[in-house]
Parts: sequence; C-alpha cells; structure tokens
Amino acid sequence: MIVSFLSIPVAYSQSEAVIAINFIPKFENSFLILNDSIYSKKSGDSIQFESLKFYISTIELLDNDKVIYQEKNSYHLVDVSQSRSLSLSLKTGSKIKFTKIKFNLGIDSILNVSGAMGGDLDPTKGMYWAWQSGYINFKLEGKSKKCNTRNHEFHFHLGGYASPYSALQTISLNVIDFEKINITLDLEKMTHEINLSKQNKIMSPGFEAVLLSKKVGQIFSIPQP
Amino acid sequence: MKKKLIVLIFCGFCLVAFQIHNTIVFKEPLKWPKANYDFLKNPLSAQKIELGRALFYEPMLSRNNTISCASCHSQYTAFTHVDHDLSHGIDDRIGTRNSPALMNLAWHKVFMWDGAVNHLDVQALAPISHPDEMDEKIENVIIKLQKTKIYPNLFKNAFGDSLITGENTLKAISQFMLTLVSANSKYDSVMRKQTTFTLQEKNGYSLFKKNCSSCHKEPLFTNLEFENNGLPLDKDLKDVGRMKVTKNSKDSIKFKVPTLRNIEFSYPYMHDGRFKRLSDVLKHYTEKVQQGPSLSKQLLNPIVLTSNEKVDLIAFLLTLTDKEFIFNPKFSYPKKIFSTTPQE
Repeated sequence: MIVSFLSIPVAYSQSEAVIAINFIPKFENSFLILNDSIYSKKSGDSIQFESLKFYISTIELLDNDKVIYQEKNSYHLVDVSQSRSLSLSLKTGSKIKFTKIKFNLGIDSILNVSGAMGGDLDPTKGMYWAWQSGYINFKLEGKSKKCNTRNHEFHFHLGGYASPYSALQTISLNVIDFEKINITLDLEKMTHEINLSKQNKIMSPGFEAVLLSKKVGQIFSIPQP
Repeated sequence: MKKKLIVLIFCGFCLVAFQIHNTIVFKEPLKWPKANYDFLKNPLSAQKIELGRALFYEPMLSRNNTISCASCHSQYTAFTHVDHDLSHGIDDRIGTRNSPALMNLAWHKVFMWDGAVNHLDVQALAPISHPDEMDEKIENVIIKLQKTKIYPNLFKNAFGDSLITGENTLKAISQFMLTLVSANSKYDSVMRKQTTFTLQEKNGYSLFKKNCSSCHKEPLFTNLEFENNGLPLDKDLKDVGRMKVTKNSKDSIKFKVPTLRNIEFSYPYMHDGRFKRLSDVLKHYTEKVQQGPSLSKQLLNPIVLTSNEKVDLIAFLLTLTDKEFIFNPKFSYPKKIFSTTPQE
C-alpha cells in the first residue's frame, strides 16, 4: 500500500533529459586495462596499473561562464575496476545547452569534516584515511621495475583538505556534445615526469600530495573530434 | 479509495510521531557550554545507543576477534587503560600513547592526543585499522557483523535496515560515546550548591583556579586546545604530537589538553603515561617544566606550590571523581544483548 502511495508522484513526472558523462582512462593512445597490460613510458621504463579510484564532486554545467546546472549531492566514486562507476548521468530535467563542464577532483573540506557518511562516501570504500581523518581524492597503485620497493609497487594516495595542503582540484573543460560527455584521463601525462625510482609512495597529505594533485588535475580532457 | 488514502496518511502520521517520540534529545548539564556534536545529522535513539554500546564491547572489531574498544577504554577506570603507560592492543602489541579517557566527547571538536581525527563519527576508524590496536579493516568488520545472528536485527531496529554499512556502524558507536557524560562529581554538586567543599578542597580549588584552570578550563576541565606542557621529548618514542598532523614546527610536542574529570581513576598520566601518581604530575609542573619555543605561555612563569598546597590541590582534584559515571550500568558490558541472542 505504501509503495503504491509513494509511486503516485512518479506517474505524473515527465521523462527527464539525461546527460551521460563517461570517464575513459588511457595511457597515451591505449585504453587503460588494469593488472595485465604493461605500458612503456617515454623514458623507456615499463609500468603496470593495479588500482585507479578517484572522487568526482560538485559537477556544474556552464553556458559562457554562467552556471546553468548544479548536480545535487554531487559526489561520485569512480573505480576503474568497477566499469559501471565510469559512467555518470546528470538528470537536468529539460534539455539544456552549455559550453563547459566543471567539477572537482576530490572531496571538499566541508564534507571532509562532516563525520561518517554513506553511499560512495562510506568509509568502507577504501578511500578514507583512518589515522588522520580525510578522504583520499585520487588513488593510483601499480608496479614498475623502476620502483625499488616490495614487489616493485608504487602507491599514490592523494588527498588532504586542510590549509596549506589542500589537494582538491577544480577541473573545467569545454564541451562539444550536449548529451554525451566523454572525458579522457591520460595517465601518461601524470606519470611521465615522475622518477619512480625516487618517488613511488605518497600516502598522506602534504606538499608532495598537493604538487602531484595539481598534475593530476591536468590529465583530464575532452578530445576534439 | 478516499478512505484508504486517509488511513494511509494517518499511518504515515503515526510513523512520523513514533520517530519523533523515539528520538532522544541531548541535554547539556546546567550552565555547560553547548555541545559541539551535530545531533541533527545523527539523532540519538535508544536503539542506536544500545547498538553502539554492543559495538563498543564487540571484539569482532579487531582482526582476530580479541580486542574491543573496551579493552583499552574500561568503564571502571574512566574509559581508559590503567596500569600501562603505553596501551597495548592485538597480539600484545604496544602502541606509542596512553589511551585517552572517554567522557563528555560531545563537546570535543577533534580527537586523539594530536587531533588527527576531525569528527567523533570517524574516530573509531583509527583504532580499528591501527596495526598495534585492532589491525582490522572497517570493510571486514561489516562483513563479520552481517554474518552474525544479532547484529542484522540490531541494525534493523536502530536504522530500519538490516544491511550493515560503515556509516551506520560508526554513527551507532558515536551515539554510545555521546552518552558518556560525566557531570555529577562532588565538584558538580558544590557548583549546584547541593553540598560544600571541605576547607582543604576549597583551598585546593582556589589553587586550581590560580594555576591550572586556564588550560584545564571548567566545566569540562580542558580548553580542548593543544599545548606543550614542558615534558621533555621521550627519546625512544620521539612523539612530536600535533606537529605530526599540521607539519608545522610551532606545534612541536603539543598535545591535546586532557580533562581532569575522574583523574583519580585515569592514571597513569600524560600522553605517554609517564607519571603514575598525581604527586608526580605536580612535581613536573612545579619543578621540571622544560623550556622550549612551543612551551605553553601559561607555563612561562613557574608554578609555585608548597607541599601543603600540593596536598590541598590533590584533595580538590579528587572531588572530580564521578562515581555515578564510573558505575553507571547503562555504560557497562551489555550482557542482555549478548546473552539473550547468542552470537554465531
């Protein structure tokens, strides 16, 4: 009975316009495949990726710098090992035209100090630091022979919300298609400058995390047709 | 159809009314500051508090199901770990600090000796995952709890959903910890004019107000700030305290000011439990404060106390013992929950 009562308003609502956002992880021109594929850096080193997870939050659509749509409760965990999480959909209500998409890579400082939350923000998602409270904005793990570490592993857990080490990045991209937004992230752009023999582990907020986060903020793009 | 709808709306009303009835309003003791915890985001209910209490005493929070929160936070010692300078956890591994006494947490903004935890809800994640404490992952904890007979029911009663999540687990633990309010010591009775101090206690209170209360601020007996109280750095532990979190050298060897409530029971003292007796603590403050760039400005002028004054000050500190808190059956091991429905 309750179910039928609750479903009444749905029957009256009109079909909603939906904008699809797809994240496409790549390494240069190759689609990223976790675990098995081995990629070559320009420096000649080989590199493998085992885990790539990141938060996308506060998604906005802009028409000539004017915000025309803001997603409510806008936070999404994108986990490359869960292919469904690579696609988001924005329910805009009616069809809208816009020139730009803007979003944050990571979780803002307010949500970082708001205690235990659910859904994609649940601390069981492996994206929360237990010893020092705060979300990990971006997590990349893998292997490279260059890493003089156990199993040649590297771990980049980037986060930190408190000044002066806020790692949150705001990304703004020009849009071509109004219904489907394909956003590429090219890990080559992030890793090509990293000397993995020297830098292979960031697991706490700080100067290094901010510096690398800024670099990660630049690997997102919408390819021109 | 119309009748059906009216009945339905009525049912809905009852449900809402029941929910409101079910919510417990947190009341600050008379003349206390407003609590810092946002109860709107996690409204207290008897069922959630009871679930949190079960989780507080639940060893499944640890990797090998041996250590619960209560292992290092025993009620009878003001929810801390007595007799050990450094608290020990799983497999008898020894940590680097003395477990803080748990009380009046609703007023705190940040947690742990160095303030590394920014909200009560996420506090439990630190000991759960620490290799020397419980050495477990919250992901595994909820899987273990889901497989038991009792917890899916307790979660259903508390949150309306038997599916256990990290969020609900942590919020329930918060609810129990929020109920740990200690505000009924002899000191509190004196403040409420229900009784009076002895002459010795009264003198001790004057000395306290003159020498200690700027950091150990009434009525919480902490200003909730980080201070360097002049303890020399332990050469083995090399614990820099707050600086570990802020990476700012001005925070070097600063630790969160602990409450003095129930101090009679919460020995040993200081972040690393280096002092066993209150007399050792007073000896430190009167004779051994180490100067340094981050030393609390309250300690720049030495504290001078005669031996009689020290005795009086300790007499006052003992009036902060709250037996009702220490022996409150609502805070103890929930025998009823664990015995009526046996765990798997």
